Amino acid sequence: MRLKPGSFAWLVAHDLRQSWRAFASLFGDMARVRIALVIGAAILALHLVAWPVALWIGAMEDGPAGSAALSAYTASGAIFVLPWIIAQSMTATTRALYGRGDLDLLFASPISARVVLGARALVMAIDAIASVATLLLPLANVNALAGHPHWLAIYPALLASGLFGSGLGLGLALALFLLVGPKRTRLVSQVAATLVGASFVLGVQGFNLLPAPTRAWVLRAFAAPESASAATALDLLWLPVRAASGEPGAILAWLLLGVIVFAAATLAFGERFAAAAILSAGAPVAGGRERKARAFRASLGATLRAKERRLVWRDPWLMSQMLLQIVYTLPVGVILWRNGGVTGSVGLAFTPTIVVISAQLAGSLAWVALSGEDAPEFLATAPVTRGQIERRKIEAIALPIALLLGAPILAVTIASPWSGLCATLFSLGAGASAALINLWRQSPSRKSMVLRRHSQSKLVGLIEHLLSILWAVAACTAILRSWTVLIPVALIAFTLWLNRPRSQSARKFSPSTAA
Amino acid sequence: MRCSETAANPPALVLSALRKSFAKPAVDGLDLTVRAGEFYALLGPNGAGKTTTLRMVAGLLPADSGDIHVFGIDVRRQAIAAKRIVAWLPDEPMLYDKLDPLEYLEFVAGLWGVEPKRAQRLADELLETLGLWAHRRERCEGFSRGMKQKVALAGALVHEPRLLMLDEPLTGLDAAAARLVKDLLAERVRRGATIILTTHILEVAERLADRIGIIQRGRLIAQGTLAELRVAGGAHEASLEDLFLNLTGQDARAA
Repeated sequence: MRLKPGSFAWLVAHDLRQSWRAFASLFGDMARVRIALVIGAAILALHLVAWPVALWIGAMEDGPAGSAALSAYTASGAIFVLPWIIAQSMTATTRALYGRGDLDLLFASPISARVVLGARALVMAIDAIASVATLLLPLANVNALAGHPHWLAIYPALLASGLFGSGLGLGLALALFLLVGPKRTRLVSQVAATLVGASFVLGVQGFNLLPAPTRAWVLRAFAAPESASAATALDLLWLPVRAASGEPGAILAWLLLGVIVFAAATLAFGERFAAAAILSAGAPVAGGRERKARAFRASLGATLRAKERRLVWRDPWLMSQMLLQIVYTLPVGVILWRNGGVTGSVGLAFTPTIVVISAQLAGSLAWVALSGEDAPEFLATAPVTRGQIERRKIEAIALPIALLLGAPILAVTIASPWSGLCATLFSLGAGASAALINLWRQSPSRKSMVLRRHSQSKLVGLIEHLLSILWAVAACTAILRSWTVLIPVALIAFTLWLNRPRSQSARKFSPSTAA
Repeated sequence: MRCSETAANPPALVLSALRKSFAKPAVDGLDLTVRAGEFYALLGPNGAGKTTTLRMVAGLLPADSGDIHVFGIDVRRQAIAAKRIVAWLPDEPMLYDKLDPLEYLEFVAGLWGVEPKRAQRLADELLETLGLWAHRRERCEGFSRGMKQKVALAGALVHEPRLLMLDEPLTGLDAAAARLVKDLLAERVRRGATIILTTHILEVAERLADRIGIIQRGRLIAQGTLAELRVAGGAHEASLEDLFLNLTGQDARAA
């Protein structure tokens, strides 16, 4: 069936095609059939992984507490999913506004701004739903197969959550645009989206720090909402949880609310979005204010370090992505700490986290500086060797990592000097090895691809993860003063040796690949 | 006044039997000499090999065979020494969106090892001359194409190259900016720099260039002053456009 050109459905189809192609590009030149096979295999694998979880949930549900035993988990799921979708929508709206893309073309066409925004927002919602669906739907399917069909309620609940979250995210991003203006929205929205997206993780950290009676009250409220007065007063907040639990009335209400919020946001903000898009075109960027003139730097190293620092610091998207990496790594430390560690040692709990963060940050920053270079051809015309430039770039990324990890390492050192020494040495090693891998195996791309960089080179991703785990294990065994530290260290050395550059010609500058 | 070409005063650029092939030959045994202090316009139809040639001189593409000498320096053997005195300005400006023009010029000067105080003075002069002074602390991401082109040109000039190669430098510039750039380039040549420029705007070549070279299918098919080209073309009153179309065999298609 041919869709009517210019219609809402036609625009949705166009945006979906663009979205699919962006996703398919992650698979490189792979043929469509093979992509479909890979996705099919991944879905099957996710269902297999979900099977034991479903059995565990089923056993709980069939227990004496019945479905009430699951309330806390369902509530946690909803609290995780909703902010995730809202954050995705805020980010997508901001990127649509500032990334421009085809907005000029669309707004120059005789199609109403509401239709344009409605189509785009719907595809944003579909993207956000898809990103969560890959994790949740296998669980729902397997549970339904295991004799609990009410789990299929996750389908409509997720659809409603996608519409609700996308509408809210869109509204929040545009409200920010009105509040702080086009100049600062890009930065503020990105930071806000990061915080919203990470709110679940941050919330869990906050929860762990609460006094024991308060934690008990929250857990009671989660387990049985009607027993806690605060929860019943805010019954609406439990709507997504009840919907996901399979209550027919709640499913309908949540769906209705999702559609209303989504429709209201797109209808109300259509013209605003168009106006914001026009205002954001060529808007001066925050930080572009008049600054005091200062003398030019004297050395090549200083200029290159300043350039790398500025490019990362001034890119809110990049900053937020790296911040997210850190936020998502923090719970490991808290979990290790709360579970007492094998020896109850603070050093043992936090050192592996510090080591892993060091590896992740060094990997990301090294990739940004080396593979994400904006003007590789320009650098190739400069009268300096590639080695000189790469050395300075590595120096440039070392400073922010040292600054960021300095405080936690100091804290560990105060608690346990030996652990502090181990944290220093092993985070140095982890950072250096992650940077080396990115130096030896460069994959030129846009800076914004930083978190997707491993989709370009899955091998580099695997090596980076392997090395960071090995360094963390090595740090723990070193803290325990065990000779077994030699095993992970030997494995690290062997992995690095395997990945060393084989010949200079292999790393020769190739503008065609760098462009 | 032209310098005589001796071992002490070598030509700015000498290409000998230069070859580069991709799927098919892009540069096919090109011989070309550009004198020191000359404004040289390199013309040719699309795909003639102009940009490929200049990218090889800039050290961005390895040649399959042949020799490239810049002021007597063998580019293929002493790439760094050659790059020290060469600037390359492609048609797409090579900029960093998150840097402002002053920071960009500081970065370029740092790469080329220009003494900081001198670099700062040159940067200020260039920003003034190119009408970028008021925008010197704004990030390049908000600039128009023409402004970006001017920032890139300032970057190419801030290290005072002896040989400046420009690929379509007037693309995206308005009439006033184009005039400004043409004047700036002419001034650089008067002060002793050598400029090689590719352009499809033949009027620019006609007005600015001391000599014009026309390449087609990777080979030089004609070279000389406009008067010499007219004599070679047997058309004493012809415009450069007529001569170009005639020499490249495109006149029939253009008609």
